[in-house]
Amino acid sequence: MTQSRFTFPRWTNLALPATIIIGMTAPLYMAIVVAYGFSPQATDVGYMPEQPIPFSHQLHAGELGMDCRYCHNTVEYTQHAAIPPTETCMNCHAQIHPQSEHIKPLFESYTTGMPIEWVRVHDLPQYSYFNHSAHVTRGVGCVACHGRVDTMEAVYQHETLSMGWCLECHRNPDPHIRNPDLVTQLEWGLDMTAAERLENSVLWRTHNDLKPSEDCSTCHR
Amino acid sequence: MSSVKKQKNTGRTWWRSLDEVVESPLFQKKVHDEFPDGASELLATGNDRRHFLKIMGASMALAGLGVGGCRRWPKENIVPYAHRPEGTMPGIAEQYATCFDFGGVSQGVLVTSNDGRPTKIEGNPSHPDSRGATDSFTQAAILDLYDPDRSRSVTYDNKKSSLAAFKEWIASYLPNDGSGVAVLSEQSSSPTYNRMRRAFMRSMPNAVWVTYDPIANVNEQNGLASAFAGLWKTVHDFAKATTIVSLDSDFLGAGPTQVPNTRGWAANRNGAHGKMNRVWVAEPSLSLTGANADERIAVKPARVSAIATAIGAAFVGGIAATLSAAEKAWADRVVTDLKHAGNHGLVVAGASQAPAVHHLVASINEAIGATGQTVSYTTLESDYKTSITELAEMIGSKAVESVIVIGGNPAYDAPAELAFESLLKSLPLSVHLSLYEDETSKACKWHVNRAHWLESWGDGKSADGTVCIGQPLIRPLFDGVTPSELLATISGLATTDGQSLVRGTFGAGDEAWDPAWRTAVHDGVVANTASLETPPVDRTISPVNIVENTGMTAVFVPSGSVWDGRFSNNGWMQEIPDTITKLTWDNAAVMSPTTAQQLGVKQGDVVSIQVEKESVSLAVLPVPGTADDVVILPLGYGRRFAGRVCTGAGTDIYPLRRNGAWSAKAKKINPTGDTYPLATTQMHFEIDSTPGKGTQERLPLLFREGTLDQYKEHPHFAQHVGHTMHSLSMWEEQQFEGAKYKWGMSFDLSSCTGCNACVTACQAENNLAIVGKDQVLMGREMQWLRIDRYFAFESNGHGGWDGDKLAAVAIQPMTCTHCENAPCEEVCPVAATVHDTDGLNTMVYNRCIGTRYCSNNCPFKVRRFNYFDYFRRDPLRSTGLLQVQPDYYVKAQSGGKTLRAMQFNPDVTVRMRGVMEKCTYCTQRIQRVKIATKNAWVKLSDAAKAKDPRVAIQDGAIVPACEQVCPAGAIVFGDLMDKESRVSKLHESNRTYEMLEELNIKSRTKYLARLTNPVGGSTGAGGSHH
Repeated sequence: MTQSRFTFPRWTNLALPATIIIGMTAPLYMAIVVAYGFSPQATDVGYMPEQPIPFSHQLHAGELGMDCRYCHNTVEYTQHAAIPPTETCMNCHAQIHPQSEHIKPLFESYTTGMPIEWVRVHDLPQYSYFNHSAHVTRGVGCVACHGRVDTMEAVYQHETLSMGWCLECHRNPDPHIRNPDLVTQLEWGLDMTAAERLENSVLWRTHNDLKPSEDCSTCHR
Repeated sequence: MSSVKKQKNTGRTWWRSLDEVVESPLFQKKVHDEFPDGASELLATGNDRRHFLKIMGASMALAGLGVGGCRRWPKENIVPYAHRPEGTMPGIAEQYATCFDFGGVSQGVLVTSNDGRPTKIEGNPSHPDSRGATDSFTQAAILDLYDPDRSRSVTYDNKKSSLAAFKEWIASYLPNDGSGVAVLSEQSSSPTYNRMRRAFMRSMPNAVWVTYDPIANVNEQNGLASAFAGLWKTVHDFAKATTIVSLDSDFLGAGPTQVPNTRGWAANRNGAHGKMNRVWVAEPSLSLTGANADERIAVKPARVSAIATAIGAAFVGGIAATLSAAEKAWADRVVTDLKHAGNHGLVVAGASQAPAVHHLVASINEAIGATGQTVSYTTLESDYKTSITELAEMIGSKAVESVIVIGGNPAYDAPAELAFESLLKSLPLSVHLSLYEDETSKACKWHVNRAHWLESWGDGKSADGTVCIGQPLIRPLFDGVTPSELLATISGLATTDGQSLVRGTFGAGDEAWDPAWRTAVHDGVVANTASLETPPVDRTISPVNIVENTGMTAVFVPSGSVWDGRFSNNGWMQEIPDTITKLTWDNAAVMSPTTAQQLGVKQGDVVSIQVEKESVSLAVLPVPGTADDVVILPLGYGRRFAGRVCTGAGTDIYPLRRNGAWSAKAKKINPTGDTYPLATTQMHFEIDSTPGKGTQERLPLLFREGTLDQYKEHPHFAQHVGHTMHSLSMWEEQQFEGAKYKWGMSFDLSSCTGCNACVTACQAENNLAIVGKDQVLMGREMQWLRIDRYFAFESNGHGGWDGDKLAAVAIQPMTCTHCENAPCEEVCPVAATVHDTDGLNTMVYNRCIGTRYCSNNCPFKVRRFNYFDYFRRDPLRSTGLLQVQPDYYVKAQSGGKTLRAMQFNPDVTVRMRGVMEKCTYCTQRIQRVKIATKNAWVKLSDAAKAKDPRVAIQDGAIVPACEQVCPAGAIVFGDLMDKESRVSKLHESNRTYEMLEELNIKSRTKYLARLTNPVGGSTGAGGSHH
């Protein structure tokens, strides 16, 4: 005799505990999604805007091996690692690939005197004051914050640049310190072990008496 | 005014206001209210709850839209130079020397330029007047450059025109020989301008040249003309003077020579080696000089002249006028003191005194041997032969039909009886060169927009005649022209560009790199060009005619905030509280409490004041120390020009002023029955919230002072005023582990005059907001540094105080003292205010949630809260449903990408609504030097590093904005860890004391007790009645 009325199959007994478990974990899941989704890790890292000239750091800094300071020549003296003036580009490009479509805006800027409007990649909030010279002269390598720019076709943000991230290094600067003469060598230290890098960092930190400040007034004015 | 308070047994008793002395109902209400009026209301402009809900609803809707586009903050562009000028480093501010001509004297300045934007003005250390300091007006001039109300084009008949059209028109219409042409010019010390004047007069020999300035010291020029023949100006050297007698001369007050005067005066005020100068002041109004005087008498202007004749009679003969007993006693003591001082004496007469008094004063100074010592003279280049009154007659008789007005604003400030505005309107041909399309421009056919001095090439002469060169900091924002360029154009010269004209005057060679020229432009001053002389005085003294007014006398004074009206569209100057009256945004009829009582009026009551046939109405402000039967009327307010800042600020006094007179008989003063709110800040931010008596008991602890004699007898008197004992601290003491520096500051109350220069400098350096009058009325002004002013009164003889009889004025600059045990930090729930290692009490804006607990717990009341987004970033909401356009929005000239934003200091965060802010000791300047010092240290050799393990910063390398500007040198900042630093030594001085030391807060800012030098060393340092 077949059953005349419908009965819930046995597995449906699991529905209640499942609902309870899902109901309890869903807010947690949402919280994680939101927390990660709105974190600088998700929103900022990897930010790679399109630039008016498709300038390749991989070519210039990587293959050609130009020093960062050939273009960003103010980095040791001021807070900005200034984008170079059009003139700096023209030092070479007056001769090299002058006909290239890509660098047309460069010639335009050079003749009209109007600047090229680059898009800012590493953008700190207006209430925080970062000083490049204070880091570079003390032996914090460019790579520590900007990543391997010499391998980037277009520059993107490599680190979160969040306050917590800054403080991590300010609280424990090792192993990010090196000989200040080597700051622009992005591949430096790759052939060393972690222990060697740490040892080197401690050495230079002690040598230059570096005690990174954790005071609010260091960055917020 | 009756005396109510009981007299305390020791020390001087200080009061913030008259209301306090008599415990007025207003004062009672103020102390009982926890917050000032309206602080709990949301919107300033009387918006109700319904409007609030509407705004909130709509804001939330907008916020919802905003979330959709969430990535990070908006895309930003980096705009590098195409051709970066050699030596420029983006992000490093540069300074250029230039000069600011004000009232016929050129002030040497260094202007800070941030990536091409001039943002801050400092004094030029190599300029003989400035020596690195400036006055308040010079600090505020940077805001004028970016004033959105500046005129932006040439206009004809109030319609837009062009410079080319103007040139064409002037070439064809101006008579070739200058017949019927007059130039009406403001005062200028510029050699180039004077050269252009001569060129103009050569090209148009029949033209008339008139110089007019409502505040010019014409009396002195006329007096010196009779004393020496020719055009002369007095140059004082206060540093050499031991006895200074001021006959209604506010030499420490606002004016073109305030900076050198203050520096010279302050040089002998600290009692070093038991010596200091003594200042005698006879004046009708309580001026800044009077407030800082050792001996003062408040008398009507005519009585000042009478006292002058009595002093004159003792030294050079002549007939002494009849004096009252008090006046005679005072004059006799002056004579004794002057005789004692010999050639270190100095008599100074003010602009209000008749030419004969100036002649007499020149004779006295010569007789005592002061000429060549404390006083010398310099010749004036300008031509004052024709007066504005004669010009008016010529216009009336059609002898003059074309008037070219260069600078100035005669339609507003010319003598009232001339009705100059309608005269200008009647002319077929009139031109006005000015920064604004003001009253005069509206009355003239042509208006030519003038280049701001920060946009122009120029030159000038300092008080002692030293030549200064001025260079532009930025290209003219609105293509304006300079006065010299205009004259060159009109005279038909071949070269008319500013740089060539100034170079021509300087005599620079054609070679572009003429080294002498380059040095002059770089330094801003031309070395060894001072021209001081000591001509012999003609001793035939004409008798001084003393015009006595029976009844009330109206006394006109230039405003310390807006001068003759030229700074009236400057929000910083409008909002700066006058040191004596503490009044902002307005002028008032200042009178003595006795006179106010006789008239039956109190503060804020409107009176109508009639002089001849004209009358004006304005609010009364009783100020002790004002002479009785005198009403003081500050000029420069009540502009009819529709500037967004000056509109509605104060009352125009010029209609009462005839023939450039400094006083007049006030026929009638009648209360109109109306009242008018005066935004005075004197009761704001009381240091001690204990009402009435509690404050009075503590004030001798807050403001410590003694006479020179007391100091000599008791060198540590300042430290023995109160008893402070700390056996156990209630604080968890700050340890400052690993600190390399210990910042501290010192204010010298002996040399601080209360000139307000530091307040304006702070405003310019730290991006402080302007809040407008209605916000000031609610006690929301944002100045980080304030000048506290207290009055002391004489005893009424019945154990109380007499609110009419001023005994002394105390002036005390007050800002965050950076307490080591800071009470504000204890109560912040989010740790937004914390200490840094060097001892700064820092304020972290991005952490602040606006509870205002810190402000409540601050014993000095130096914290300021952003009740609104005073620098409104989003000007869109000035229209439509969400329209919010309160006063501060208009006055602050705000809006994200407006002209105003160009002045911002890029090293200081522009604060948002809802955050607290306060003095940071200019932490941005500290950081700049710290970083540069360590950068250099890292590159040193190991041996050099070992020698300087502390990375020491040289004393004086870090200069906060207030210290930098102070002409008296009263503010010193430095490292207390360095025992040789100036501030360390001052903190060790026997005059040093700490405010509210009993709280054990360990302030890093300490004060040096004030010394005064009255005759006989009594504590009564001069008053209104003797």
